[in-house]
Amino acid sequence: MSLTDLMTMAKTDKELRKRIFTKLWRAHPDECFQCMRCTSGCTSLKLLELKPHEIVLLVNSGFIQELVSSDIIWTCASCLKCRERCPQNASPYNTILELRNLAVEREAKIPEAYMKAIAQILETGLTQPEQTATTRDMQPQNREKLGLPKLPYANDKFKTVFMKILGG
Amino acid sequence: MKAAVYWGCKIPTEQYAYEMSTRQVLPRFNIELVDLENVSCCGTPVRSVNTSAALYLSVRNLAIAGQTGLDNLLIPCNECHFMLSEARNRLDNDSEMQTKIQELLNEEGLEYPSNIKIWHTIDLLHDFVNIDTIRGKVRKPLEGLKFAVHPGCQIIRPSEIGRVDHPENPRKLDRLVEALGAQSIDYSEKLDCCGAALLYSHLDAALSLAGTKLRSVQTYGADGFVNTCPYCHTMYDARQKEAAATVGSKLTLSVVYYTQLLGHAIGIDHDKLGLHLNQSFDPERFTRRST
Ligand code: SF4
Ligand code: SF4
Repeated sequence: MSLTDLMTMAKTDKELRKRIFTKLWRAHPDECFQCMRCTSGCTSLKLLELKPHEIVLLVNSGFIQELVSSDIIWTCASCLKCRERCPQNASPYNTILELRNLAVEREAKIPEAYMKAIAQILETGLTQPEQTATTRDMQPQNREKLGLPKLPYANDKFKTVFMKILGG
Repeated sequence: MKAAVYWGCKIPTEQYAYEMSTRQVLPRFNIELVDLENVSCCGTPVRSVNTSAALYLSVRNLAIAGQTGLDNLLIPCNECHFMLSEARNRLDNDSEMQTKIQELLNEEGLEYPSNIKIWHTIDLLHDFVNIDTIRGKVRKPLEGLKFAVHPGCQIIRPSEIGRVDHPENPRKLDRLVEALGAQSIDYSEKLDCCGAALLYSHLDAALSLAGTKLRSVQTYGADGFVNTCPYCHTMYDARQKEAAATVGSKLTLSVVYYTQLLGHAIGIDHDKLGLHLNQSFDPERFTRRST
């Protein structure tokens, strides 16, 4: 039997819950006792209303699908305070990352910038091409002009392997 | 010391000032840097998409650094330093994962483990070079200047994987600034996050985080703001005007990398340190009391 959220009629999903738990390593959301230490220091609490203890509770209860299709999982600023301070090693931070992974897999709404970075890595190994810098008096600069050596590029073999692991 | 250096993506494609000043400063303390070929992204943005692929990227870079046969690896970026430290912690304690990743590395003829010691700018200068040596090299002491330091998040947390300073009360960057004759102010927002990771999805929130912190620092009378991460630096320097507009304040803080501040104090030309690339830097104010 599964729980039902009476507000949204959403059902819990044991399979998805298990998927999240098997991917986590040395992080134990199921040991969370809702002390809210994570939320009280969360960087994204005030501006974006992220409450990591609630995320952990929803994951534990199995309301994964709701989280995966919600924007809230993309509001984490990766400050790692929750991971540092949680007395139970629940790591809301890592739990949120796995929820994001699941969102990508299910093709839920994903901020475009992440996909752009990955496309670029497949091209050169780095997340962005060499940018033109501008001095305070508006002179354009690049690595060569600044006397810096050429950028390293990852070889083609790398791209094949990276593609493979991205595909699962 | 001879150390391999892994610059990551953000520094060598955009934050040239950090790279220039690091390359200028470290040899003055007998640290020779060896660049790596064939390296790639550390995995930071990939983590949100596929944590295994991100782990692979981190380990791969560690393996390449290990191939140099050197004992030390400098990672000046906070994010990259976190990713590679986390990857090492995982592989050294999870043999199943190690086997899985090693299979992928085999396809490129690479090998883990790599026992190379990982350093960041902060601990390399504070723990290895040490404060007294730095103090002894200062030719233009920054007397009378007040700075607020921002070590950043990923470089001090999570302590379980070994970070460069205390997770709640980091002091090393303060001591490094004080070694140059300046004052490092104590302020309650010191641990506040720059917001850079939110640029991908929530621009206004990101700018608001950066702007709120700078506004406080300015109220406390700081002349400048010192950081050691290319992501934080972008938020506070290049995006300072946008951040100011978002929080509705006028911000005029000179934001510098610690390596630039150190370079200035030991007498290196500003252009060689890339100080002309800092959008927020005001040379007049910066050198007002130190000549
Ligand atoms: S700090 Fe840890 S135990 Fe406490 S509510 Fe947050 S996740 Fe749960
Ligand atoms: S890592 Fe994310 S969830 Fe955790 S405290 Fe920071 S912003 Fe909040």
